Amino acid sequence: MSIRTETPTRPRIGSDAAPILSFDNVCKRYGSLDALAGVTFQVNRGEVVCLIGPSGSGKSTLLRCANALESIDGGRVLMDGRDVHDRRTDARNLRRRMGMVFQNFELFPHLTVLRNVAVGPTTVLRMPAAGAAARAMELLRKVGLGDKAAQYPAALSGGQQQRVAIARALAMQPDVMLFDEPTSALDPETIGEVLSVMKRLADEGMTMVVVTHEMDFAKRVGNWIVVFDHGKVVEQGPPRQVFEEPTIQRTRDFLSHLGWHGESLAASDLLVPAPSGSYEHRTSD
Amino acid sequence: MTLDWSVVWDNRWRLIAGAEMTILLTAITMMLALPGGLILALLRLSPLRAVRSATTWFVEFFRATPLILQIYWMFYVLPAAFDIRLSEFATALLGLTLNVSSFNSETFRAGIQSIRPGQWNAGLALGMSKPQVMRKIILPQATLRVLPALASTWVSLFKDTSLVSIIAVADLSYVALKIRSETYRVLEVLTAMAALYCLMGYPQAKLVDWLHRRLKVTE
Repeated sequence: MSIRTETPTRPRIGSDAAPILSFDNVCKRYGSLDALAGVTFQVNRGEVVCLIGPSGSGKSTLLRCANALESIDGGRVLMDGRDVHDRRTDARNLRRRMGMVFQNFELFPHLTVLRNVAVGPTTVLRMPAAGAAARAMELLRKVGLGDKAAQYPAALSGGQQQRVAIARALAMQPDVMLFDEPTSALDPETIGEVLSVMKRLADEGMTMVVVTHEMDFAKRVGNWIVVFDHGKVVEQGPPRQVFEEPTIQRTRDFLSHLGWHGESLAASDLLVPAPSGSYEHRTSD
Repeated sequence: MTLDWSVVWDNRWRLIAGAEMTILLTAITMMLALPGGLILALLRLSPLRAVRSATTWFVEFFRATPLILQIYWMFYVLPAAFDIRLSEFATALLGLTLNVSSFNSETFRAGIQSIRPGQWNAGLALGMSKPQVMRKIILPQATLRVLPALASTWVSLFKDTSLVSIIAVADLSYVALKIRSETYRVLEVLTAMAALYCLMGYPQAKLVDWLHRRLKVTE
């Protein structure tokens, strides 16, 4: 299988600076299974990189290797030039600069929504409780959940829980956000509100790596698409190239399996109901 | 058969003092055995193999042998073999605490291991250290989850304190059995003893049930 990395007509976003995250021949084995068989690609600052491909192709594993929740068996992951898996690296310092959003939300069920968002800053950044609560409240308002601050996660819908999880990750003011299939566990009617929050985050210029099966989102919001299969990157490029003229048969098979036949979708197709409440642009940071 | 309940009434202050000793032993033992059990549970989850297996042996010894034997052993062997001389009360407390800590450690360990790995990942991904995740995320959830099990250990402990009467600690059982042998009013004294245990034990069980309902975390 050849890997095409054609120079796009427009330069890739952030390509004038060093990449924030780079994966260099990353290998990961589970017993005899090569979950990752030499994965190489980069994420530039300000980019939204979408990882797509069949289930079990290694996308989520790669994301977990990015912040050292999983160890690797070969290759390197560099975050802002520092080797994430080097024994001398303090993984905690790198992790707090990478916000992570999980498929199953993983909110802390014993804490209120507000404390779910504030617990990172108070525990890790040693921020005073009042300041952390104020920051948490601001973020909850941004994701449209200011009125849920005092609730416990169990009282929220899946979409609301995932928005809290996004706010929790943002509370650490990360340089890059990692999304691991953030809408796969959601009811169809709440997927939109989560994608909408993510799109606005992208519009603000947040660097994002998104493992997703939402092809509309990948095409409309993604700046760079990486296609995985059997633990390898089989194709990568800007969305127009990957979705409209995939060079690899495997990519074509995968997309057609999802019912994607290369047609252009109207911009309104990504239209997702805005979450109740506003999501203002950040005024200060 | 004629019953003479005046035996119970006449000895009421002794019985009450015995009941106080029973409560005192239960409360102090549990106050020590909760942190004790937690520490043992954390040691059993240690990354160091030697620490893990030493703790496992300790816990399994106290779980696999009868409490009455443990109390006897501490009463006779500690002074004879190690020249450690403790009062009867301290000996009783030590035996109960080691025993209940061992049971509590298994309860805590089960609770900690029942929390899904995703909760660890969520804490670590925020940049927390493992001890921070344990303290802020895992233990609060695990403790709430095992509260009913800790409660039934508490109620068992409350009843098991009666075993310390064998080394002459003046708890409710010791006092009641002594009154029985002084007066030969077996039926009255044992019935009063049963009533006193039940009166004290039932509210404790109910209180913990109530706590559990109140603190319940839904997912």
